[in-house]
Formats: sequence, structure tokens, C-alpha cells
Amino acid sequence: MKTSFFAFSLLAVSAVAMPAQADKLDDIIASGTLRCAVVLDFPPMGSRDENNNPIGFDVDYCNDLAAALGVKAEIVETTFPERIPSLMSGRVDVAVASTSDTLERAKTVGFTIPYYSFENAVVANEKVEMATWEDMKGKVVGATAGTYEAIWLEGKVKEWGVGEFRPYQTQADVFLALSQGQLDATVATVEVSEANVKSGNFPGIKIVDKAPMVPDYVALITLREEYGLINYMNLFINQQVRTGRYAELYKKWVGDGEPASLIVEGVYR
Amino acid sequence: MFDTALTTNDLIFLAKGAGMTLIVTAISVFFGTILGIIFGVIRYQIGPWWAAPLTFVLDIFRSIPLLIQLVLANAFVTTVLGFRVSGFAVACGVLSLYTAAYCAEIVRGGIEAVPQTLRRAARSLGMTWGQDMTSIVLPLATRVALPSWIGLALGVMKDSALVYIVQVVELLKSTQILITRLQEPLFLLMICGLFYFLISFPIARFGSYLEKRWSND
Amino acid sequence: MFNYNFRWNQALNSLPDMLQGALVTMEIAILSMVIGISVAIVLTLFRLSGNRILSAISATWVEIARNTPALFQIYMVHFGLGGFGVHLSPYLSLLIGIAFNNAGYLTENFRGALKAIPDTQTRAARSLGMSSIQAFQSVILPQMLRISFLPMTNQMVWAILMTSLGAVVAMNTDLYGVTSDLNARTFRTFELFAIAAVIFYVITKVITLSARLLAARLFRY
Repeated sequence: MKTSFFAFSLLAVSAVAMPAQADKLDDIIASGTLRCAVVLDFPPMGSRDENNNPIGFDVDYCNDLAAALGVKAEIVETTFPERIPSLMSGRVDVAVASTSDTLERAKTVGFTIPYYSFENAVVANEKVEMATWEDMKGKVVGATAGTYEAIWLEGKVKEWGVGEFRPYQTQADVFLALSQGQLDATVATVEVSEANVKSGNFPGIKIVDKAPMVPDYVALITLREEYGLINYMNLFINQQVRTGRYAELYKKWVGDGEPASLIVEGVYR
Repeated sequence: MFDTALTTNDLIFLAKGAGMTLIVTAISVFFGTILGIIFGVIRYQIGPWWAAPLTFVLDIFRSIPLLIQLVLANAFVTTVLGFRVSGFAVACGVLSLYTAAYCAEIVRGGIEAVPQTLRRAARSLGMTWGQDMTSIVLPLATRVALPSWIGLALGVMKDSALVYIVQVVELLKSTQILITRLQEPLFLLMICGLFYFLISFPIARFGSYLEKRWSND
Repeated sequence: MFNYNFRWNQALNSLPDMLQGALVTMEIAILSMVIGISVAIVLTLFRLSGNRILSAISATWVEIARNTPALFQIYMVHFGLGGFGVHLSPYLSLLIGIAFNNAGYLTENFRGALKAIPDTQTRAARSLGMSSIQAFQSVILPQMLRISFLPMTNQMVWAILMTSLGAVVAMNTDLYGVTSDLNARTFRTFELFAIAAVIFYVITKVITLSARLLAARLFRY
């Protein structure tokens, strides 16, 4: 407590004393560390290996970004509902956390161009009779609080007027509840659903159908006013695709096949 | 049930989480108790009327869920004021004040339990206020207050499970991380619960032993 | 003054939803107290029964409730029982979790209260021809509840504070759930939780004050 109060006053003094306009990009390079928020219950994008070290597409992506900046990467685990608050509270510099670029969020944080694009699947408990996504009507469904899928799904449940929607705090809890049969179905990204079905960690779940949502473009996020950093990251994402690193990471974490396209047809940017 | 994928590494990981729980608890109980004694003595000394603002502020910590206190303090210090403070510091700060709010009540109760006549007798023997407080009130009030204080300290340890909300990886959070990977919820939760129990139970027993022993005479 | 743009309007727009959540919070707290008190009376009888198994059940319940975090207990009710195929809705999980905790603490309070009631009263009641159940019901129980009225009020406040833990079991209709849902959508963390804090404060004050008034009415003699 004492030291933090001391730090407070020191910070306050330095804020007054230094009018220099160092932005976040300068701060990161000067501090020598890039702190990335990554969600680690979201395989293959983020998870932990048997030594509980963070691994996954997003983890590698953060490491690449840090390498490009010439700094050390520090992975800070967050949950989906916590990733924007942890950015706002200055606990992390950027979030490499599969964040869908919604307009609601853009009121609070700044988005780069998309660095990945998901399609969403409907995953159900095996004991539940389901053939298409519309069979979710009237069932108990759930997703991780505040995510793109959750907002869509809750909207659908409200539109149908029957059934129940449950927002769990973590992606892991959603699949645990689904596997236990507490949820009949959920909507999750195809990559994550396939990884979870394949891992065998969640017995009794199956992929039913694609969810009829527009492709879920996800972007890197940082504070809204950090244009310097956003510009840098835009170029970085472009370079990742150009140099073939994007395809390489796709192959490493998601599998063979064409990496998800990052182009939105028919629009300028 | 004992056919588990849990490795030594995972146990070390859990132990680290448990260590974090104990560190946060120790820091918060330490500062909370000091603050609580100060607030408690002040409240008793200046009377209920003048102490009303202090009572009101301390009461807030006992009337709002700890989870909301943590979220609010975190948002206020980091987002509104813009300070770079670790989640650990926020957790310890909030828990210390939370502890102090309860501790002040315990301290006040302890002081009030010391008979007025005894204190007057002490003062009339020529003892100063300080002497009266340290040699008469302190030993007697401690007897009354200690069992409740032990209960409070254990309560803070259990409540420290909530600091996950400011990204502090303590015991319950480490357990959840392992559950995510290993998918053995029941087994892992049992281990976690057992740990809390093994720390809390003997100390709670000791507390009620003291209470029983000291209340008999 | 601050380098932060408050958007109170946006948060205040959600006030009706939050007040609706406050009702659910109070409902859960009251129900959990009713269940908690009833179970605690049963557990107290178990303890007094002299039957080894029954008193062991009572003791285990009390020790687990008092020596593990409430968050753990609620999570366990949902995902722990879920592992055995017992599926409870978020609402029931939260209610049962809090009631479990209440029952444990209240049983301990009742134990303390019983110490204050002289043994001779039971004997007197029995010698008047009352059965042991009658004696408990009409002589001991009312006094026990009266003596533990203050601890019960405190537990009621705890029950209200504990409803905030429901988010871990996907509870989204109580005050905390509504607030955290709104927060996950709009990220006005400070504004939303400040409003929730005020509502929680008002609820706990209303509860403690009405308990005090109730005590003044009930225990006037």
C-alpha cells in the first residue's frame, strides 16, 4: 500500500513535470515489454500446455508483434468479458484476443484491420435432438458473456420468445456446462468447436450446423486514441499476410486448408 | 477418481495460487488490523456523534458486495484516474479497507466491554490515558476481541477468492485454469476446497477454543 | 479534472433494468434466508438428537459452509452437482448455494443462542408433561430465534452481498448479473458499478432498518 501511494505521488509529479507527448507506441518501445491480453480458454487461439504456459495462435501473434517492435512479449491472461476492461485499466497495452470488431465496442476501444476471421458453429449436447441451427429455438442455450456470439444468441432467444439464454463468464465454463448437459446448445467459432470436440476434453458434444451469422472479423485492439500504435499494427497485420507468416500460423494451429480470408468484398476498406 | 492427468507441475501451479491467496490475506489483514484499531479507538474516543462520517464510510465497505468494491476501485484508480497500478495492489488496498471496516467494529466492541469503573479506577490511580489504554484496556479488550478477529481474518482469506476479478491468479482462479485444461472439475474443485478447509478449520477451532476458555472466568 | 469521459446518461438509461435486478436480488436473499433458517433448525435438532450420524451430518455441513469460500460453494452447486447429472438453473444454483451457506452459519449462531437458555427450562417443560418436541417447539425455539435475531439480520445482509457471486454460474437477472451483462456490452464499468453499489447500499440499509423496527415490535415486553 505504502509503496503504491508513493508511486501515485511520483506519477502525479512526473505527469506535471513532463509535457513531452510520448504515445503508447513510444512507451512500449521504451519499456521493452509488450503486454498482450490473450484469452487462454479458447483453443486453438489460446490455451495452456502441460506446463501451464500459454500457447496458441494469438500467443504466437503477440510474440510476432513484440518481435517486430523489438521488445519482449508478456502474455496476460484474461477472460472474454474482462479483456476490454483490462485494456482500459492500463493493465495491458493491446489485446490479441479474437475481438470481433463491433460498432458498440468501437465506442470504447480502437480496432485495427481484421487479423483473422471466424465462422460460427452451433454445438450441441449429443443427447439433444438437433439438425439445424433453428432447432435451438426453445432450448437452453448459452455463450461467453459479452462476446459476439453471445449477443447474437441472446438476441435470437429474445426474438423467439421461448427458451433460455445463459451467459457464462468463461468459454471453458460454457463447454463444461454443455458437456454436463446443463446447456442444450451453444454457438462458438468453428475452430474452437472443432478443437474442443477433437480434444476429447468435453465428452458428449457434437457440431450440428453453421450459425447463420456474417463472418466474424476479429481485430487487435488498443486504446481508442492511440493512432500511432493502431497504424503500426495495421501495417503489421498486412505484413503478416504478405510474408506468409499468417498462413504458417494457420497451418500450425488450425490445420491444413486455405487460411480464413481477411478481405471484405465490395467495400473500400 | 484418482486416475488423473494432474502432474507435479500442476500441483506446483496450484501451490503458487495458494501462496497468492495467503500473501493477499496476510497483507490485507495486517494493514486492515492496524487501520481498524486506529478507526475503532477514534470512534470510541470521539463519541458516536462526531464519528458519524467515519462510521458512514466504514459502513459502506460492509454494505456493498466485495466484488463490486473491487471492480469499482479498479476502474476508478486505473481508468478514471489513469494510474498504472497492478491488480495485486488494488486487491490488497480494497481488502485492507474491507478488513479495517469490520475490525473497527470488533475493536470498538472490545473497548466497550471493558468496565468503565475499572478504567476510572486506573485513571484515579494516576495513570495517563495512554497507560490506561495499554495496560488496562488492551489486555482486557483483546480477550473479548481476539476470537472475533480470528473469524475476521479467516473471512478475509475466504473472501480473497474474489480478487480474480482484478486479474490476480489466486487459488480458485488457478484451479479454474487447470479445469480448463484438464477437464476434471470435481477432482480439482475438491482439492481447492480441501486446501481452504485445511487452513481455515484448525484456526477456526483454535478461535472457538480461546472463546470458550476466556469466557469461563 | 479527470482524463476520463463519464457517460452517466448511458448508464442511467439502464436504471430500470438494474432496479428490476434489485428485486430479483432481494427475492433470492429472502428465500435463501427462509430456507437457511428452516434447515438450520433441522440441523440444530440433528445436533441435539444424540444420534451420532445425524450430529455428524450437522457438524460436516456447518464446517464446510464456514470454512470454504461462498464463491466455491456456489460454483460447486452448479458444476459439481452438474458432474453427477444434477442440473440446476443459474437461479436455483445461486439460491441453493447461498441457502447452504446461510444454514451453516445460522446453525452455529443457534448453538451459541442455546447456551444462553438455561437447561432447567427444558426440564421444567418436560415435567409439565410436554414431549421433548413440544418443549423445543414452544419453549426453546422462540427464545433461540429471539436471541439470534441480530446474527440473523447480519446473515441476511450477507445473503444480499452473496447474490453478487451468481455471475460465475451464468446468473444474469439479479442486480450484479444485470450490471455485469451491461458492462460486458458497453464497458462503462465505473458508471454502471457505481450505480449498482448505491442500489446495494440502499437495499442493505432498508433491510437492517426494517429488521430493527421488526425487533422493536416483536420483542417488546
